Amino acid sequence: MIEARGLTKRYGDLVAVEEVSFSLARGEVVGFLGPNGAGKTTTIRMLTGFLPPTDGTAVIAGHDIFGDPIAARRAIGYLPETPPLYPEMTVRSFLEYVARIKDVPRVERRAAVDRALERTALTDVRRQVIGTLSRGFRQRVGLAQAIVHNPPVLILDEPTAGLDPLQIREIRALITELTAPSQGDTQQTVILSTHILAEVDAICRRVILLHQGRKVVDAPLSELTSGGRSLDQIFTDHTTHDAADKFAFPSGPVVESESGSES
Amino acid sequence: MRHVASVAGRELRSLFVSPVAYGVLSLFSMLAGMFFILDLGWFEQVLFQFQQYPGQLADFNLNDGLLHEFYGSISVILLFLIPGITMGVYAAEKTNGTEELLLTSPLTIWDIVLGKFAAGAIFIAVLIGIVGLFAGMLFLYGDPEVGKTASGLLGLLLTGWTYVAIGGFASAVTRSQIVAFLITLVVLVTLLLLPGIAEFGIAGSAPGVSDTLRYLSVQLHFDPLLNGLVDTADLTYFAVMIGSFLVITKAAVESARWR
Repeated sequence: MIEARGLTKRYGDLVAVEEVSFSLARGEVVGFLGPNGAGKTTTIRMLTGFLPPTDGTAVIAGHDIFGDPIAARRAIGYLPETPPLYPEMTVRSFLEYVARIKDVPRVERRAAVDRALERTALTDVRRQVIGTLSRGFRQRVGLAQAIVHNPPVLILDEPTAGLDPLQIREIRALITELTAPSQGDTQQTVILSTHILAEVDAICRRVILLHQGRKVVDAPLSELTSGGRSLDQIFTDHTTHDAADKFAFPSGPVVESESGSES
Repeated sequence: MRHVASVAGRELRSLFVSPVAYGVLSLFSMLAGMFFILDLGWFEQVLFQFQQYPGQLADFNLNDGLLHEFYGSISVILLFLIPGITMGVYAAEKTNGTEELLLTSPLTIWDIVLGKFAAGAIFIAVLIGIVGLFAGMLFLYGDPEVGKTASGLLGLLLTGWTYVAIGGFASAVTRSQIVAFLITLVVLVTLLLLPGIAEFGIAGSAPGVSDTLRYLSVQLHFDPLLNGLVDTADLTYFAVMIGSFLVITKAAVESARWR
């Protein structure tokens, strides 16, 4: 359903993401893990077609993001880090608009919006102006706009960032519900980016760990934790290892050049 | 095309659920009414004076004596109002984070650019409709030339659309609405002053340069329409201006992907 082939993003000399490849089958729910700045958001933005990769490509639901970008984007429901909302619109009119630009056929639009409202428990506030909603509610509207066209691929970028514990629990329950295939739904392939490990534990069945722009772990959650190790330990092992190296040799290249001049 | 309508529809709806549209509409109607009364007063005064010189009275009419002035004032009001209407058209998408929604939706950049321009163009058409009401009133009490009255309105409409295209571009290159407002205002004022600049210094002494500057000026293509002369050359000018600004706006929106 999602296939990333050597995705690379460079900004001049800075490499944000390097050679990230993975393949997700239909219905897989994957936790995209990594410390802040690991390249999660950049990778996601390349998958969703917001940023073109410097190198590599991706195939979403059979459509190459370069070959047929419109069809690839149509297959994705995407909740960016900051939920994209028009504060002056009402919840309902916003979702109707999103349904229109996401190519939901006119006859199905009403039902699609109603369903999205229902699944995100927003039916009661549907006539309210988005700007007047609390953060937790706005996040739900963000989720609703991602699922309104019932996409086969759902990409959520840190959906619980900046919420209070109660709201986090709510959103998490919501995601669990959304990812559990209910009747008549196309089974959704989900990428959930986060740095909160409990979230992955609760929702995902597979983990992809990014660190400094590279993929360092890609395995089923059960396999990773089978040796009695916690996700926390795995995360720490893979992400602090390099950092420790860095502290030991704060300026690697310089050390080399000094030894070179001595010889 | 369906997408263009969706984008335009949302844009207009947002304009009308916020106080912006109503503020602009009432301010515009008020200013237009004020200028109309002033121009009317002036027209009456001149008419009164001319009654002693019947020769000149024959050349004096509602179109040249009143509507010409009135339309001219409206074009200046548009110059100051339109930057306020267009400043948020792209800049707000960036601050709302909705730029990411638009660019990851199955829309082409042209859908977005044309949709937003269409919304602005429709709003300007409403404003010019108000101007038309004032001009229409004259038909109740006098008999202005229909052709001249209409071509002047067409000139205002095209001028307004050109300003919208320029304002949209300014909004696409920045995140800040204030900056977009200022850029638009500077560009529009410069366009207004171009005929004057064309006479000046080096520009004035080099015929190629001064001719080009003059050609770019909105005023010199608006004036013939004001005088009832609908020339394809002038219409082409407006089409070229609007088209070019839409093309560079498209490039500016697209550049978000490369940053």
